[in-house]
Amino acid sequence: MSPAALRVEKVTVRYGNTVAIEEASLEADRGEIIGLIGADGAGKSSLLHAIAGVGRFQGEILFEGHAYHSPKEAEPLKPHIGLMPQGIGLVLYRNLTVGEHLDFFADIRNLKRNEAFLSYRERLLEMAGLAPFTDRPAGKLSGGMMQKLSLICTLLHRPKLLILDEPTTGVDPLSRLELWEILDNIRREEGTVALISTAYMQEAARMDRIHLFDSGRIIARGTAEALLAGVRNYSYEPVPCPSERCIQTGHYTYALDPIDAPKKEPTLEALFFVHALQEGRRIPPIEVSPRESDEAIPSLVMEARGLTKRFGSFVADDHIDMRLQSGEILGLLGANGAGKTTFIKMLLGLYPIDGGELTLLGRPIRSAEDRRHLKSRIGYVSQHFALYKDMTVRENLLYFAQMHRLPLTRALPRIQRLAEELGFAPYMEALPSELPLGINQRFSLAAAILHEPVVLFLDEPTSGVDAIARSQFWQLLQRLKEVWGIAILITTHYMSEAEYCDRVVLLKQGRKIADDTPQHLMARYPEAKSFEEAFLQLYKEKVI
Amino acid sequence: MNWGVVRAYMRKEILELLRSKMIIIVYILPTFIIILFGYGIRLEVTHARTLIIDHDQSKLSRDLTERFMHSRYFDARLFRGTEQEALHRIKQAKTEILLIIPQGFERRLLHGLRGEIAAFVDGAFPIRGETMSNYVKGEIFHAAQSVAPDLAPRITLDNRNLFNQAMRDEDAIVPGLFGLILLVAPAILSALLIVKEKEEGTIFNFYASPVRKSEFLLAKLTPAFLLHSLNILILFLWATWLFQVPFRGSFTLYWLASELYILISLGIGLLVSIVTRTQIVAIVLTVIITIIPGFLYSGMLMPISSMSGESVIEAHIYPVMYYNHIVYDAFLIGQGLDAPKIRLYLLILTLYAAAILALGSALMKKELR
Repeated sequence: MSPAALRVEKVTVRYGNTVAIEEASLEADRGEIIGLIGADGAGKSSLLHAIAGVGRFQGEILFEGHAYHSPKEAEPLKPHIGLMPQGIGLVLYRNLTVGEHLDFFADIRNLKRNEAFLSYRERLLEMAGLAPFTDRPAGKLSGGMMQKLSLICTLLHRPKLLILDEPTTGVDPLSRLELWEILDNIRREEGTVALISTAYMQEAARMDRIHLFDSGRIIARGTAEALLAGVRNYSYEPVPCPSERCIQTGHYTYALDPIDAPKKEPTLEALFFVHALQEGRRIPPIEVSPRESDEAIPSLVMEARGLTKRFGSFVADDHIDMRLQSGEILGLLGANGAGKTTFIKMLLGLYPIDGGELTLLGRPIRSAEDRRHLKSRIGYVSQHFALYKDMTVRENLLYFAQMHRLPLTRALPRIQRLAEELGFAPYMEALPSELPLGINQRFSLAAAILHEPVVLFLDEPTSGVDAIARSQFWQLLQRLKEVWGIAILITTHYMSEAEYCDRVVLLKQGRKIADDTPQHLMARYPEAKSFEEAFLQLYKEKVI
Repeated sequence: MNWGVVRAYMRKEILELLRSKMIIIVYILPTFIIILFGYGIRLEVTHARTLIIDHDQSKLSRDLTERFMHSRYFDARLFRGTEQEALHRIKQAKTEILLIIPQGFERRLLHGLRGEIAAFVDGAFPIRGETMSNYVKGEIFHAAQSVAPDLAPRITLDNRNLFNQAMRDEDAIVPGLFGLILLVAPAILSALLIVKEKEEGTIFNFYASPVRKSEFLLAKLTPAFLLHSLNILILFLWATWLFQVPFRGSFTLYWLASELYILISLGIGLLVSIVTRTQIVAIVLTVIITIIPGFLYSGMLMPISSMSGESVIEAHIYPVMYYNHIVYDAFLIGQGLDAPKIRLYLLILTLYAAAILALGSALMKKELR
């Protein structure tokens, strides 16, 4: 057997005192797609930057017989490396057109404009579906188109080592599929070594070998099938845990010791749970005590009719109808730029409404005055967790309590109770920046429910959070719904999270294309194996 | 060095500058500063509101009063009230100068005695007050000399030169602004061109490609250099046409020194871009480290020769002093390269530019931080 094209040996990346990735090793052959899966901050990007020769590291990387230990030593390999860093349209210049991008990337790579190049360029444009848009500035492309443009710009010089950092995160399902098709074609034709990180477990099926990342380490590796085989014995239908070394999530129970329950076919997420259990981490189920206030909750919490928001000529939300009932978790799903955040901001009064009618808690909303009385009954967690970075967790919570005019005698015990129930009590004296993302997320939720609202709006709270924290967060929302009986509206770009919702609304380019229970939606597409696939079908059908 | 790569990168920079409208700032900012400061800074005093109480009522006192009334430096009028009332008006800031000519002023002088005029000057703004009291002394001396030349020697004045400023304010201020403007503007542009890519993430196109550091820097700094070279002419035109500042020296020397100075400014921008990650921080930092020295050591407010201690050292560390000396010479004096000091300063500017650009390119790394 010939030696592997790429060999990464014991690579460690540090930023100051924090270790981003520790002693990571991996190998890759020509034509292989190597997957890196894990949450934000698990070390995927740091490792990819090291391999691409753009960040410093310790250890050794060998590509096609050339060893390097620093960005400087990697310099001779750069003509053969293609890197697409994380972030939608990150490497694009918003004022340059699609055509100018291709010219620029060809020029800085010093490519000859011969027959072969021009036909390859045409082919890439065709594959990406960008051929009709060569004169359009990159700033005016959709998120999916931006990612496809970034990808073909990265492929233009036919790299032998292709490094893609979360190319599909936040991109609509159709564009994601197209991105994967381009990749599949290229690696087969060119024999490219492709390293691809992703936040979506479902994409693992497209990868030849997978590496699972958890807090700076690679915790498992192998083909998807082999990895699943390793955890199949521990995955059961969701039943209460009979013993320690066991964890129950929304749809599974994972137990290291055999339990008396039917087995259930696991997904790759199981690996994170089983790994945590094997490491001896205990993940107790989440309980929530009843709310103190006995305020009645209206059955229809929010009703929007024809809600519309325009930014200039761009329609962010186009005549959206939506109803939110108490005791319901409504998932607002869609890709980046589909209009989810804009919709929530209209509900909150952060954006003026350009058209349509909105009724909140039985009160028609026409002016700011109408909203003033509602503030104390609404809870909101924003995309970027609106916490004060220079105050400790306790200080933040006290501040929010005071903002809601909660007397200290009631605020203090309530903060303590929430801290214990939501599991961040040990972090009360820490600053938000020192906390893991998952803890920050729960503490933000605590700040939003401190005043016991009757409706909760959450804007992408699970983005980038690891599988265990995500599952716990959904469990927490489930409990809040059940015990408090409140209504919850949550946005997410993870289509797979639809399964946790009672009802989902799917947005595409500002329009509503589905509004139903997940079960009904799945029933409509019997051939679909997952929510991902069902939504993909929906997306294909509803052409806007 | 691969010129195709440099050209492609430069082409992109120019397109972005044009389409993002940043090009407007490149040409508005220098003009804005020269007009703002050129009109805004006034060191000379004109039309000082003056009251004169004439207790003497002699020919000499009336001639003296007449002189003040016809001077463009004073808005003088006779005051019929009491001294207390007049002094009160200074307190109310309704009057800036009060002159009291005592009874028997002319007679005392004619008898060979010393004549004394009381002058009260509003000292709320010390520099303005100092200037006004010098003007008063000068005006009295002049008046006395022309009205009664034989009496003049008995009025002693030791600082008459101060009044007879041949230099207009524009001539003193406007050339001094060049050293400020051409230090601030190119630095901001070069820092922004680099930091913008860092902030938005497009810097990865440089990091992950075979583009060399020298090619990247050349592509970033050349457009900034060329665009700002035009400002050398624009500033020259504003100075000579709008502010009517004479130009007595060599334009070539002025142009050469300015180009060198722009290179220094670009180097400062480059250094700023190395330590900053966001455009806003880059702008603030550039403004702080360029405007303050650019203003203080311009020679506008205070000649370097009258500075002492640490400020002399600081003045010599910043490039402003050397450049301004050459510019003032080119506009007002015209010695040019005949003067050894100008030759030395030109050499210092050259070395300065080379050193700062070398330092910047050495410190810049082609990798993430």
